[in-house]
Amino acid sequence: MEKKDLQVELGTKECFEEALPPVLKLVSSQTVAGFDCVGYANGKNDQSQTATNYTSQEETLVHEPGTEVADTRGQDIVINLPELSSPIQMANHSRPFSLSFSLPSSPSGLHIGQTKTVIYTDKDKANAANGVSSQPPEQGKYHSQPMPVIEGPRRVPRSDSVRDKRFDPFKTWSGRLERQLSNLRGKPQEVEEEEDLEANSSHGAAQTDAVPAVERYFDALEGPELDTLRATEVSVLPEDKKWPFLLRFPVNAFGICLGVSSQAILWKTLATSPSMTFLRVSPAANLVLWFISLALMGLISLIYSLKVIFYYEAVRREYYHPVRVNFFFAPWIACLFLAMGVPPSVAVNLPAPLWYVLMAPIFCLELKIYGQWMSGGQRRLSKVANPTNHLAIIGNFVGALLGASMGLKEGPIFFFAVGLAHYIVLFVTLYQRLPTNLTLPKELHPVFFLFVAPPSVASMAWAKIQGDFDYGARIAYYIALFLYMSLAVRINFFRGFRFSLAWWAYTFPMTGAAVATIRYSEEVANVFTHALSIGLSAISTFTVTALLVTTIIHAFVLGNLFPNDISIAITQKRPKFSKMLAHLRSSSADMKDLDSSAPRVSQEY
Amino acid sequence: MPSLRPFFPLHQIKLHSQQKYMEDNNKPHQIHLQILSAAAADAAHADAAHAGSIPDKTAAKKAVSRLDVLTRFHAGYFRISLALCGQALLWKTLSEPTTDARALRPVVRAVPSFAFALLWSLSFLTLATLCVLYAFRCALRFRCVRAELAHHVGMNYLFAPWISWLLLLQSAPRSFPRPSDGCYHFLWLAFSLPIIALDVKIYGQWFTQGKKFLSMVANPASQITVIANLVGARAAAQMGWRETAVCMFAVGMAHYLVLFVTLYQRFLGSNSLPAMLRPVFFLFFAAPSMASLAWDAISSTFDTSCKMFFFLSLFLFASVVSRPALFKRSMRRFSVAWWAYSFPLTALALAATEYAQEVKGEVANALMLVLSILSVVVTLALMVFTAIRTNDLLPQDDPFACFPTVRRQP
Repeated sequence: MEKKDLQVELGTKECFEEALPPVLKLVSSQTVAGFDCVGYANGKNDQSQTATNYTSQEETLVHEPGTEVADTRGQDIVINLPELSSPIQMANHSRPFSLSFSLPSSPSGLHIGQTKTVIYTDKDKANAANGVSSQPPEQGKYHSQPMPVIEGPRRVPRSDSVRDKRFDPFKTWSGRLERQLSNLRGKPQEVEEEEDLEANSSHGAAQTDAVPAVERYFDALEGPELDTLRATEVSVLPEDKKWPFLLRFPVNAFGICLGVSSQAILWKTLATSPSMTFLRVSPAANLVLWFISLALMGLISLIYSLKVIFYYEAVRREYYHPVRVNFFFAPWIACLFLAMGVPPSVAVNLPAPLWYVLMAPIFCLELKIYGQWMSGGQRRLSKVANPTNHLAIIGNFVGALLGASMGLKEGPIFFFAVGLAHYIVLFVTLYQRLPTNLTLPKELHPVFFLFVAPPSVASMAWAKIQGDFDYGARIAYYIALFLYMSLAVRINFFRGFRFSLAWWAYTFPMTGAAVATIRYSEEVANVFTHALSIGLSAISTFTVTALLVTTIIHAFVLGNLFPNDISIAITQKRPKFSKMLAHLRSSSADMKDLDSSAPRVSQEY
Repeated sequence: MPSLRPFFPLHQIKLHSQQKYMEDNNKPHQIHLQILSAAAADAAHADAAHAGSIPDKTAAKKAVSRLDVLTRFHAGYFRISLALCGQALLWKTLSEPTTDARALRPVVRAVPSFAFALLWSLSFLTLATLCVLYAFRCALRFRCVRAELAHHVGMNYLFAPWISWLLLLQSAPRSFPRPSDGCYHFLWLAFSLPIIALDVKIYGQWFTQGKKFLSMVANPASQITVIANLVGARAAAQMGWRETAVCMFAVGMAHYLVLFVTLYQRFLGSNSLPAMLRPVFFLFFAAPSMASLAWDAISSTFDTSCKMFFFLSLFLFASVVSRPALFKRSMRRFSVAWWAYSFPLTALALAATEYAQEVKGEVANALMLVLSILSVVVTLALMVFTAIRTNDLLPQDDPFACFPTVRRQP
């Protein structure tokens, strides 16, 4: 091996007593000129077992370009060993000793243990050495090779000024954007960050270049919103540390806008509807709610656009998540709600081009998503259908309703037709509960309230298009009412779920049903319909208030409103058995959990 | 899965047909026997095959090659007639006085009236030729026809001749009998009764017969059955037979609903259609267009339901056209499947014409203009391609050509 040759050649320069085992890497440094004697102690026995591993790893080491092995001839070779017997080194520098291993990427438990205790970055030495010596800083250097594991190594952060590199694969252009910006702001350049980034990106790129396939989302996640990691899976990002805020901010947050802006519409309808005048609701409620929802919308859009700018990879992974993709419709639907709930004191007639501007993103998203249903092999509807898909349909009906109230004719009919056709498909698919469908929760979950939304909004849209609440609108309204009742009587099955931000999105169907009932009571005015409208409005207001209180509690008291967003951090491939064991040990899950939630483990091992 | 018995591994077939034309040895005779149909009752061909002398060999080759055409010809070739008859109907509709496109009128007036007659005659001749060929195939290769009826894609194209005849009837020039004549009624009956018979057979299979459940056999070509009902309904409504029209419309729409949901679910994934037949995906927007036209004829105005169907087909058109990757594999080589592009575009253009007649606006007229031009251009391009690459039209390895069972040499 060329390493041995090199050692022989260098024997004239340095006093090696015997040839060094090849496992020891050549770690050069621009250090002290006086360092020329290396001894080694009992490190050799430990290293022999890794010798064979090392030789196979030679080709996979990440070297600096241009600093080939042969070039080290002109540099001092430093091999740092524990318990050095030679006093010369002790005298010449106060460098701490370390043992650097390069380990294969499929560790057994033994190696994990070793590396966790021993691995130690050489960059501190390099930094210290920089301070000690006067060597030119532009020499190429070797580093101890980082352990090529999928999980980020648990390194102690060196200093506050160094970023945590573990989240780089999720950042835009693997973190280069952030560095550009910090360069612009005048932060000091850290040269070794470049090389470390190469190392990281060569590992990270393999993991996050391609987004995981749809099956991986189904294998790795469970739960009605596919947001809980199975006990047998590991996450790409560390689970015990709190991730950066932007990384924890899911697209579900737009559900809050949906919930609040639909409340604004409800109070506007209560104030202006001719059949509800006996309540004497003041328009101030609508005004206040509308401004609150406008502010919320602005805030959440701002934060999410920051996430798009800085963490584009994470946004991509959310887009490929079979449930989260539907929430990408939520911002535009919230904009439509804002336009529908605008108080009469702010604006009475909205300009027609505004409708086209608001519907254009929905149209493009629809082309993509519905086309996937029709032709995409992996994301076909029989496989990925879940109640959240209703969010993809409701945009059509809301747009039709808004357009018809603005006086447009053909555009609303267009979106109504498209929405109706695809709603029929989705409705049948969800009712069938096909055996190939993996995402439908076995128990009832608040997401089921989304079933109520399309028929209620479709009935209002059809009434507006036709001019009066005719039979088509009534049929749709009765369907919505029936679905609402069949969910309401099962209210005690909706227990035991962990609160999540997405629950805000499930409140707008209730509000929609209330508004549809008010509209219906304008046509069919009797005590029963009035009572129904008041009752449904009260329920929806009460639900939103309760949700607001829960959100505030989680945000300020419990502090877990934005937990680590595990569902975007799943691995590309199923982790190997040993990692799962390590993960299970560290998370102290029972073997029972393993049995119950790992259906496919036994097939592989 | 439907029986694959007639469809042999293609490389074997190629080998046989290559060997068939070898000059100098006696083997071709044995292979002649193998290629010839097992069901054929043609003694003349058998004699020719058994003959060993060279002059008879050429005669044998000619006879065999003629029959070979019948073997490789299948109902999918009626796509050509569908396309041409659809074009004829589009030209007729565009030249109607009710079409109010100021941009279109000079164009239509500029084209001399004999061009339309030429197109109609061409369609008529094509359709007649194809029907005669298919009649021969039924007579001589009935086993193949039966196999075609059993195949989940091939069975739908048995509707195609009748659709073409109905379209031709509707687009007949003025010298033809009017829709109110008894002659017209008779022709309508002659063309629609086979459609109804096929309906009963195929729709019945969808929910009763074990191997042919809809979830197993559904594929985009199944929409041709729906289109057949809708075309029949439209023709009936134009004749004044309103109840019959509504009946056929109802049958078509009920099955369209079921089929639409099933196709969107894609229970079987992309296994239902070979990559060569991807142009058939254009049928997704042909069916709602025909539904819009049919309801327009039934309710005599282009009301909201018609508009909804038309918009749905526009959306599906945008959806299919924005996915060119879907068609890449089928566009590598010219085949008769390419003719599947033309008829749906023509149907969409027809629906846009009716829409523009009702909603007289700039956008509607522009839409009609664009879609009509697109459909005409595509059809012309297909005709040019066919003229240039006639050999490709009857390829050796068409996935739906029927090859009879190999008869073992005694």
